[in-house]
Amino acid sequence: MLNDLLIAFQAVATFENFLIMAAGIWGGVIIGAIPGMTGTMAVTLALPFTFYMQPIPSILLLVALYKGSTYGGSVSAILIKTPGTASAACTTLDGYPLARQGKAGKALNMALYSSCTGDFISNISLIFIAAPLALLALRIGPPEYFMLMVFALTTVAGVSGRSLLLGLVSACLGLLLATVGEDMYGSFRFDLTVDMQGGLAVAPVLIGLFAIPELLKIVVFRNTEAQKPMQLGDNKVTRAELRRSLKSMLKGSMIGVVMGAIPGIGPSAAAFSSYGEAQRSSKHRENFGKGEVEGIAASESANNGCCGSTMIPLLALGVPGDVITGVMLGAFMIHGMTPGPMLFENNLHEVYMLFIGMLFSSILLFGAGKATMRFFSHISRIPPGLMAPIVLILCLFGIFSISNSMYDVIVLLAMGVFGFFMFLFAIPAAPFLIAFILGPMLEENLRRALAISRGDPSILVSSPITWLFASLAVFVIVITIRQQLKKAKA
Amino acid sequence: MGIARGVIITALFGFVLWVLIPIYVPRPSFIPGFAPPPDMWPRTVSIIGMVLGLLLLGLSLSKKTQAIADPEDAGSIRGDTPLPTLLLRFGWSVLAFALFVAAVSLLGFLLASILLLVAMLVLTGYWRNRWVALIVAVALPLLLYLFFSSALNTRFPTGSLLRALGV
Repeated sequence: MLNDLLIAFQAVATFENFLIMAAGIWGGVIIGAIPGMTGTMAVTLALPFTFYMQPIPSILLLVALYKGSTYGGSVSAILIKTPGTASAACTTLDGYPLARQGKAGKALNMALYSSCTGDFISNISLIFIAAPLALLALRIGPPEYFMLMVFALTTVAGVSGRSLLLGLVSACLGLLLATVGEDMYGSFRFDLTVDMQGGLAVAPVLIGLFAIPELLKIVVFRNTEAQKPMQLGDNKVTRAELRRSLKSMLKGSMIGVVMGAIPGIGPSAAAFSSYGEAQRSSKHRENFGKGEVEGIAASESANNGCCGSTMIPLLALGVPGDVITGVMLGAFMIHGMTPGPMLFENNLHEVYMLFIGMLFSSILLFGAGKATMRFFSHISRIPPGLMAPIVLILCLFGIFSISNSMYDVIVLLAMGVFGFFMFLFAIPAAPFLIAFILGPMLEENLRRALAISRGDPSILVSSPITWLFASLAVFVIVITIRQQLKKAKA
Repeated sequence: MGIARGVIITALFGFVLWVLIPIYVPRPSFIPGFAPPPDMWPRTVSIIGMVLGLLLLGLSLSKKTQAIADPEDAGSIRGDTPLPTLLLRFGWSVLAFALFVAAVSLLGFLLASILLLVAMLVLTGYWRNRWVALIVAVALPLLLYLFFSSALNTRFPTGSLLRALGV
């Protein structure tokens, strides 16, 4: 393995790859820092560009954007109390009060140190856990895959919104839309037009669902009040503060690694769990929420700690843990690589190149964060009323360039309107998208399993692994219902 | 909002189950082996969706269980703006999208994008800063057009009207 890693190191350490990763990190940090623009958007907007690149640089670009945007989200969270990404919401709790005290520089520096630490630990975990998990996954057949995906969908549906029922409705809508086009035996489904026989591509559905509703929200609700950024102080994080926060940083990183590896949990939940744990175990717990650097360290290390580990289920099992890795799954497939156990047999060299590239990107993240701190406040100043239409035009050009077809552009706009209705009905978009991406695989594995068992559905609960995933899915449903009942009573 | 949402979700999945699937998901005359037919999965998902919709509807009917079905306060999303105003703004946006799609074949992708960007800047209220908005509306699509055409060799539609005029 060490030899393979060294060969991969040589292959990755080229000027071109560094330039691509630096551009990705830089772009991700800036996009993440802009309120309303998320890492998902950054990755999806970059997806059309990757079609023209080599496989590994293209994946590294997407990973760099993901990491950059996860850190970038903390910048506007600290400066203007508006998290650039959902995972940075927890950082506002202590970051903004610290900035109000004129210590914005200290807060941003702590966020950067914690993000880089969490990211690095996450990448190391990816290298050592992904391969053993892939070996285990080789024993998984169609019934096990089906149950695993049911579990992943249930988890996403449970944690991505306030209501499990609405999450499940969202997942059903995504599964239904995924059936449009040719099925595994060559018959066409829901082909209302000739174009629809080819099905719906992931990119226009994804971008339409996430980017366009933001524009429609601004148009319909006119929430365009520009928020003025504060001046950045040049405060440094002292050694004592760093030492004090180290425990929370390491603990947060591990929480991020574990929660990131479970499909559907995601960085937001990891950040809040880590924050809660840091507050519980800190000697300065009374300062939490008033500008405690330990709080920033806990949340930022956890949300960046997810970046590498969310790739574990994707690479090892072919199951995207969240929306961003869902897009990455698409990017892998576009380049002829199918994530899952066979990836480690067919594309081992590329997998190691990816690992090494991800380690490099942690270092680049530190450099980009330091270099762009003052620049952020100017970007964050772009009012949403100008930014949202700009994003729309970027989406239109990007989507058209994928297929040179207006069909995808129409799908993009239609999905935008559909996504806006989902927002109005408080139906979360994440389960929809994960279901849309997993849908074809879910159906294929179900139909294969039923074909193997000659139509006997008991095959779906015939092995210990299927029982394990089925039990986990039921467990998630029960826990979520219990939590929601408690909230409803309160 | 809970009741309306439950009804709409149930109706949507019901429409797929009883109208769209019989028409648009044909069963082939021969299915190899014991493979389930193509309509099995859409039917299963639609039935689950309908059950979930009915569950949402049922929970919304009782005040005790309403909070489970409808955790989000609809009023907080809408704010104080009257509904007709919101619908009008939404209608303008959808109209702008539709006109863009129609205009591409006539005016070409670049010009249609510029017009759409102008329309959206007006709708978001940013058109107050007329000069900035105008520069962005012209420069951004132009830069993107040049970038995608030259770097990625994308062939954007030029538009029949402009072609007829010899542009």
